[in-house]
Amino acid sequence: MTAGQLRIAGDVGGTFTDVASFDPSTGRLALGKALTTPDFLVQGIEAGILKTGSDAADAGLFLHGSTIAINTMLERTGARAALLITKGFRDIYEIGRVNRPDSYNLYFRKHQPLIPRVDRHEVDERLLASGEVLTPLNDAEISALGEKLRRDGIEAVAVLFLHCYRNPAHELRAKRILQEAMPGAFITVSHELSQEYREFERASTVAANAYIGPRVAGYLQEIDSHLRMLGFAGAFLVVQSTGGLFSFDQAQRQCVRMLESGPAAGVVAAQAVCRGARIENAIAFDMGGTTAKAGVISGGQVLTTGTALVGGYETALPVQIPMIDIVEVGTGGGSIAFVSEGGALNIGPRSAGAAPGPACYGLSGDEPTVTDANLVLGRLGATRFLGGEMRLDIRAAEQALYRKIAGPLGMNLIEAANGIVQIAVTQMAYAVKSVTTSRGLDAGNFVLVAYGGAGPLHASALAREIGIRRVLIPRAPGHFSAIGMLFCDLRYDYVQTRFTKLDDLDFGEFEIAFGEMERQGRDAIEQARVSAGSVQIGRALDMRYVGQEHLVTVDVPLEHFGRQDRQAIKQQFDHIHHTRYGTSAPGERAEIASLRSSVTGRLAKPSLEEVGRGGPEPVRAVRQGSRTAWIGDATAETPVYDRELLQSGNRISGPALIEEHASTTVLFPGDELTVDGGGNLLISVASA
Amino acid sequence: MTRPVDPVLVEIVRNGVMAVTEEMKTNLMRTAYNMIIYEALDFTVGLFTADGQTVSIGLGLPTFIRGMAETIKAKLKHFGKENIEPGDILLTNDAYITGSHLNHMTFSLPIFHEGELIAFACCMAHWQDVGGQLGGVTTDIFSEGIQIPIIKYARRGVVNQDLVDIIRMNVRIPERAMGDLRAQITAVKTGEKRFLELVTRYGLAEVLQAITVIMDQSERAARARTRAIPDGVYEAQSFMDDDGVDVGSPIPIKVRVEVKGDEMIVDLSDVSRQVRGFYNSGITTGHACAQVAFKCLTSPADYPINDGSFRNLTVIVPPGRVVSATRPAPMRWWMTFPMTVIDTVFKAMGDALPDKVIAGHHADLCVSLVHGTDPKDGKFFLAHMGPLGGGWGAKLSEDGVSATVCINDGDTHNSPREQLEAKYPLLIERYALIEDSGGPGEHRGGLGCETVIRALTDVTMNASIDRAHCLPWGLHGGLEGTGNQVLLRRDGEWDKERVNAKVLTVQIRKGDAYALRSGGGGGFGSPLNRPPEKVREDVRQGYVSLPAARDYYGVVLDSVTLEIDQAASAGERAAAIPVHQKRVAAQGQPVRRLSAAELTQKPPGHAPIPCLRIACCGMVSFPFLEDEARD
Repeated sequence: MTAGQLRIAGDVGGTFTDVASFDPSTGRLALGKALTTPDFLVQGIEAGILKTGSDAADAGLFLHGSTIAINTMLERTGARAALLITKGFRDIYEIGRVNRPDSYNLYFRKHQPLIPRVDRHEVDERLLASGEVLTPLNDAEISALGEKLRRDGIEAVAVLFLHCYRNPAHELRAKRILQEAMPGAFITVSHELSQEYREFERASTVAANAYIGPRVAGYLQEIDSHLRMLGFAGAFLVVQSTGGLFSFDQAQRQCVRMLESGPAAGVVAAQAVCRGARIENAIAFDMGGTTAKAGVISGGQVLTTGTALVGGYETALPVQIPMIDIVEVGTGGGSIAFVSEGGALNIGPRSAGAAPGPACYGLSGDEPTVTDANLVLGRLGATRFLGGEMRLDIRAAEQALYRKIAGPLGMNLIEAANGIVQIAVTQMAYAVKSVTTSRGLDAGNFVLVAYGGAGPLHASALAREIGIRRVLIPRAPGHFSAIGMLFCDLRYDYVQTRFTKLDDLDFGEFEIAFGEMERQGRDAIEQARVSAGSVQIGRALDMRYVGQEHLVTVDVPLEHFGRQDRQAIKQQFDHIHHTRYGTSAPGERAEIASLRSSVTGRLAKPSLEEVGRGGPEPVRAVRQGSRTAWIGDATAETPVYDRELLQSGNRISGPALIEEHASTTVLFPGDELTVDGGGNLLISVASA
Repeated sequence: MTRPVDPVLVEIVRNGVMAVTEEMKTNLMRTAYNMIIYEALDFTVGLFTADGQTVSIGLGLPTFIRGMAETIKAKLKHFGKENIEPGDILLTNDAYITGSHLNHMTFSLPIFHEGELIAFACCMAHWQDVGGQLGGVTTDIFSEGIQIPIIKYARRGVVNQDLVDIIRMNVRIPERAMGDLRAQITAVKTGEKRFLELVTRYGLAEVLQAITVIMDQSERAARARTRAIPDGVYEAQSFMDDDGVDVGSPIPIKVRVEVKGDEMIVDLSDVSRQVRGFYNSGITTGHACAQVAFKCLTSPADYPINDGSFRNLTVIVPPGRVVSATRPAPMRWWMTFPMTVIDTVFKAMGDALPDKVIAGHHADLCVSLVHGTDPKDGKFFLAHMGPLGGGWGAKLSEDGVSATVCINDGDTHNSPREQLEAKYPLLIERYALIEDSGGPGEHRGGLGCETVIRALTDVTMNASIDRAHCLPWGLHGGLEGTGNQVLLRRDGEWDKERVNAKVLTVQIRKGDAYALRSGGGGGFGSPLNRPPEKVREDVRQGYVSLPAARDYYGVVLDSVTLEIDQAASAGERAAAIPVHQKRVAAQGQPVRRLSAAELTQKPPGHAPIPCLRIACCGMVSFPFLEDEARD
């Protein structure tokens, strides 16, 4: 059977499974939303595909993102795993970095390892920081341990040896021996995931991979088998936290790389929309029920980070692999507003979630939320939520707001509701700013791309707060991650720690190290069996001034290596240091800690169907009447528009409300909206 | 009559000032040159009112909660408000003003708006070296390094180059010092820029008024929570091992707390007089001790940290105490004793606030400093081995946390062992939890850690650790954890018994090693009430040994299957009651030290357990060695 043309993307979230199906021959994009089916997740995907009116048998590519990896970690539903570790270091995974962020809280907690102490075993081997062997690995010890673990019913084994990034021989040998001793078990060794120093972070990474591995690998296998049964004959690719794709069998072995696949795909979608709209710098802003997330696109590139913390900061488990740098703040539509003991008005991070949900859901929730405030302000329509599938109870919202906020603080309802939305917006504004300012970028120069159910509702207010002048609301903001998957490329990232002063850098040795990483990347792309177009190589160095601790990742053009141009590398580093922190020290020496390589196999990108062209004045049917809404500093009878019927070229002046199935866009007085050829809403924000 | 302040604006300003101090913190951390700032986060940044009241502190060192505010007040007094001008940056490291040591360079930038002084941005950071004696114990401030009085680092935007030159000549690694200085300037300038943005956006009067309201709200919350504490006078005492000079002379720490209505008084008059060795701190830190304890008990989650929270707290500290030392007392190791003062306040409040307090913790950073010449490049190196992390006390409803930094520090990190080995001629043999170090209790104390560090070339090591003798105490029938300890290994033999945990300058030859061991936390409630399943799980995980399960918890387990012998356990528990009571009563006494012979035979890693059998005599046993011998 030959594979078809269709590209199908499936994004499995906690509540819904979104499917996007794209036909390159017609440019037609079809969307489907189905309930997530936790017991047999592939069922939800199948239902979603059906809703798009597509057939898996016609697909050449199936692209997939899922919360399964991160949920397995957060909900602690992974395998019984063991950790093999260098002698003397059994406890480093539990000791961690010994920090106590919640400094005055005597009831503070720290991270809980995924592998308990009883399942962590020391191995008598030792490498020096140079990679030289101090104590050789004893094969018999490993195979005896493997035997014992097998008898104990251990399903997965993680291996971490100190300084393996300088010499992986011991880890590789241990892996081979374990595979023989424990057929069928999931064996993972740290250097295959991270060749960067920091033993605790690497231990946490490899332990997470072992812990989630059997479940995630089984899940991916289940999807693959099921799709094949439905006649799918194409390639199955999975989205990584970098927004790059990797093949299904690679995903089965390196599961930690797909922890943030959904949010990452959202940022990639924002990048694609920006490319189409010729926007270089944008903030991808995703606001849902419990959190808001933001990623950055700078100069057309998505910004990434080398380590992420999974779970709240205080108790987080680090994962040391490259991923899109996404900040998250606990402010969403369901965030609860309350008055503290001292009389301050606070929002979140406690959320009413889906049940009982905001007071206006009428599901016995009696605490006022951000969504209730938006309803009271008239920004949300009581009869039009989720396309009218769910009726909102405005009286319940008003009562909750009055009892908990307006009454105690002596405000009227509108003041209280407006205050809640304003505070929520400033909280998000600080988070969004922090992703840019921490890199020395000025948020004011960025376009805000807002999606997720609650993103369009707050986008214009948020832009004002940050000083952003342009907002873009993409099509289907509620399906954005699934659409984003259609725009992902194959991508493989490698990092290798190699401490050296820039002055002592041996270009020949670096060429070999980079060459090896790039060879692995090209091989992996080939193995993915997808016709990738061109292969693109990126090289970067983690650098700092001699004596400094913190590292800055510096993208280095290939020609600097070709010309062995130390000075150009140094200048590049000085420049980035200056942009980020406002200081640099061109007279001082720099050193390198790690080499980073990214190998990208470009896939052909869909060009989305354009919306119909219209004049500046929207056709009459677009107007859906009006309602009284408080937007800005006044209340006014505000026109309501139906987004589905807007045409490119249409213009709308604020104040106005634009409604679609899962979202409402709010235009403030003075805002000017234009619909572009791709159906995006471009908003020019009036200054605050 | 002014209009009441808009609660929404107040909240926006609250988030705003916290974002400002967060960004100051981020910028300092990422541009700093030394590990103490970047990894150990030994710094504090903040925003202050024009008269030096704390508006927001970016989380750093809890015990430095007062250091910056008092320094700004001193600077205002020194220059006079009218002589502070736009473009000035004020500096001092005067230990008797900051209350700490000379390493804490404290920069303050006055923020002006239309010519009016409206606030200060301030940054204290720990420089790794400020000159002075290398290692050993100092006995006056003059041997601790360069002292910089209150001075203008920059006057109207022009840097005082003479001052910079003097500093450069007085420190061992000037490049690092200058790197850290630049980072601090970046931090205070960030604070200025962002605070002015807030003022521009919302208006000066509005922002200042909102700040007043934030402080008033913090005060109201603190008063409400203090009112909930039963009125009364609460006292407790503990002690420090010694001051490093008069070895073996314990130093008394006595605190008295009085609660009346919504006011609290913390009286530190009976804390020891200042001492000869370098463990003194200034009066600013005396006040900080009381404030940290007060905040932990009344408003741990209220942010930003601001001076409103402390308006109902009165602190009594006469000058000349070890936490209110006067010139020229040595101050280099200022941070150790205050931690025990704070812990002793929790101990005093144990009966009044059982659900808020915590049993004793290891209360020491357990750091060591190593210096020497690196054979790789022939250059001098100075390695700060970072905090080890240790055991924390148990609470009314939870076990203590293991391997976590002491209360002096907050978001402080240890450094990756792989990086230490890559940077310095050292080999880390071990970094592990210590079995049986947590104090037994219905809720068990957290475990301490041990690290063993081998020299790969001849080096000099210093460790100035206390609380080897005053063990982290239990509360409400819980027992003590183990104390802090330092041991040396020469030619493969672990060193003779040490009188304390202070190793003030010792040569460690190539191939030799030293071990640092942090104490475990105290237990809470009687261990005889701990559910046997939990004891079994602790044994299964190796947190508690089989003999300790029986001796302390009265739980008898099968040595192979770890099955609970219910009948034997019931008998054991009943019989153990008087022993347990004796132990509770005996708490607070210095421990019997191991004999030299015992120490040379027993490698670290095997916690000594005082034997519990009534028939024997409080001797020390090493259960694991016995187990091994049986094998």
